[in-house]
Amino acid sequence: MNDCCNNCNTCPSADKPMEAYIRALPMETSHHRVAKQKTKCGFGLQGVCCRLCANGPCRITPDAPRGICGADADTIVARNFARAVAAGSGCYIHVVENTARQLRDTGLTRGKIRSEAALEKLAKTMGVAGEDKYDLAVKVAEKVLSDLYRPEYEPMELVEKLAYAPRVKRWKELNIMPGGAKGEVFQNIVKTSTNLSSDPVEMLVSCLRLGISTGLYGLQLTNLLNDVVLGDPEIRPAPVGMNVIDPDYINILITGHQHSLFTYIQDRLLDEEVVAKAKAAGAKGFKLVGCTCVGQDLQLRGAHYTEIFDGHAGNNYISEAVLACGAIDAVLSEFNCTLPGIEPICEELKIKQICLDVVAKKANAEYMPFHFESREADGDRIIDAIVTAYTERRGKVPMNLFRTHGNKNTLTGVSEGSLKKFLGGSWKPLIDLIAAGKIKGLAGVVGCSSVAYGHDTLTVALTKELIARDILVLTAGCSSGGLENVGLMTPEAAELAGPNLKAVCKELGIPPVLNFGPCLAIGRLEIVATEIAEELGVDLPQLPLVLSAAQWLEEQALADGAFGLALGLPLHLGVPPFITGSKVVTKILTEDMVGLTGGRVIVDGDARSAADTLEGIIEEKRKALNI
Amino acid sequence: MKRIFIDPSKCDGCKNCSVACMEAHRRDGGSGVCTLDLTDPANVSRNRIVTDGRGGYDPIFCRHCDVPDCAGACMSGALKKNQTTGLVEYDEEKCAACFMCVMSCRYGVPAVSADRKRMIKCDFCVHLEEGPACVRACPKKAIEVREV
Repeated sequence: MNDCCNNCNTCPSADKPMEAYIRALPMETSHHRVAKQKTKCGFGLQGVCCRLCANGPCRITPDAPRGICGADADTIVARNFARAVAAGSGCYIHVVENTARQLRDTGLTRGKIRSEAALEKLAKTMGVAGEDKYDLAVKVAEKVLSDLYRPEYEPMELVEKLAYAPRVKRWKELNIMPGGAKGEVFQNIVKTSTNLSSDPVEMLVSCLRLGISTGLYGLQLTNLLNDVVLGDPEIRPAPVGMNVIDPDYINILITGHQHSLFTYIQDRLLDEEVVAKAKAAGAKGFKLVGCTCVGQDLQLRGAHYTEIFDGHAGNNYISEAVLACGAIDAVLSEFNCTLPGIEPICEELKIKQICLDVVAKKANAEYMPFHFESREADGDRIIDAIVTAYTERRGKVPMNLFRTHGNKNTLTGVSEGSLKKFLGGSWKPLIDLIAAGKIKGLAGVVGCSSVAYGHDTLTVALTKELIARDILVLTAGCSSGGLENVGLMTPEAAELAGPNLKAVCKELGIPPVLNFGPCLAIGRLEIVATEIAEELGVDLPQLPLVLSAAQWLEEQALADGAFGLALGLPLHLGVPPFITGSKVVTKILTEDMVGLTGGRVIVDGDARSAADTLEGIIEEKRKALNI
Repeated sequence: MKRIFIDPSKCDGCKNCSVACMEAHRRDGGSGVCTLDLTDPANVSRNRIVTDGRGGYDPIFCRHCDVPDCAGACMSGALKKNQTTGLVEYDEEKCAACFMCVMSCRYGVPAVSADRKRMIKCDFCVHLEEGPACVRACPKKAIEVREV
């Protein structure tokens, strides 16, 4: 497959055993391709390449400060940025739309509702009543869907119910209350098309509006709706890394973000008659192996799925390695971060690729639509295809297991609900620890994993810097996958924390890095922040809380980031989001935003100096709060 | 002696060489392509890419000629051919800003600086241990340093 690989360099990884495993693989992965893509286009990096029309691509240089149409660097950068935020928002809105549809269909068919408490809490927040739990589920789901489908000029009803009142007040002053979430995406695609808006400021304001709809619906509501159908997260230790893979089972790797899409299949895989199919093929049964955010989500709710779920193997940039181990028989994907790089590996190792949602259709995958109405037939067809793959490949492909990778005691299942419960039903113990300086502040190290500048290297280095400064780190996204595989979420990691945080961790038996799971759970972190602010009677920007999407990767991350800014939080990024070609856009995002929402972007690729900046912000906020 | 050799058939006109040149010679104290001001005339590139009129590109780089037109036209002695390294070197201190070099180069390489106080030309990135930044930045390997 890749003859050169014995001579290839791979990128560094914060996970050294994984780095060595990948380097020794007989096949090419993303880690191998980094070197060959090392030369980056300077215009692309700065966001000043425009290919919105056939006169282009136009690029900005000292000799050519405007494109042929007359667009300057500020217009080109703002247009490119706003398009990316709109696309990222579209992705998350797709996820919440499908999640709400699953809840509605579950209610309509009187299906399994795993958390009535979550349903009742959500219904209360929304001001929705129902005849019974099924009717309530339908009403809640429809309330969400009707907001998503509103036109852009009609405000969404749930925004004021979900968001923190002081924030809503500020958003109204800034005129950034969002209309229908899908309409907002549509509006921004139009706005940023050829020779439409050229106003960088207006486009950035639009990004804030997209941030609010993405954050409240795509992030927060997706979690809360999933809690109803899939069960509330519960704090527990769990194994992570490639050691979770048991070759005696038919192993299904799951990739994506839409956990609710395969709940039915997941339950069905434990039915006696289905297990019998596995046994007839020579396996002990079926196991799901987690990868990317959907694996993180399953891990988060792992307490309800101990029998079917083996554990989380790793983040998006581990997926190629996980498949290369030979013990995975099928990949079930329903959304991104399903890397195209898995395709040649699946082909070589005869791994069946199945796609459940056409938006994530991989070239080699069989698109096997899964509809709620025909779930029984659809589910069995998918399961049969997986059993066939197992029969056809096992014994014929080499195994390259990595049983020593990862650890067995990563603390998982942390959510706004489970953490509060752990603290005794109130945020007061955490607030007291912060006030006493035992925890200096909170940092959400969130978002993706990337490889161009090292796999999880900045995420891990920054996290170590932060905990050493007594800052408690909360994670959500593929950053969690990297941090858990290097052991930072085991209780033993307390040793790496500063003296005050270490003492807190030891007393409570927790690691200094708390795992909220998938990127969707950035919404949960923001609920935690909101509830703490509420208890203190302050607005979000006043909290000693910072965000870092150190290794942000995708357009979705930019939409998340826009939510962080709308909430008024400082947001660190390891690499700039293709904006530095515009002085106006860079200044607004890194400086002027403080006066608008209270938030700002900090770009720094160095872990130590970024941690210095973030610690400085936390200390300033502590001072302002007189603590 | 080293020279930059060009294979125009490999050039895609991406201008990565120009951006790398600008970055290598920026004087604002910053570093990293992301923070390079692409609109500041003070950062102008010392090389350029022009279309060849047949759908391809011609990268225009200083050839550090054996008999350099620019140095021949320089009355102040600011431009000199270094016989050991083979480079046509420029001493900004000696430059009278007459721009006869700009007038004489048959390849149109030397340029007038934005502040009109000096000339701008390839210096083979002598300040960089790794050699010319443009060559390292070319994704197509259309330009390379060869020993002559």
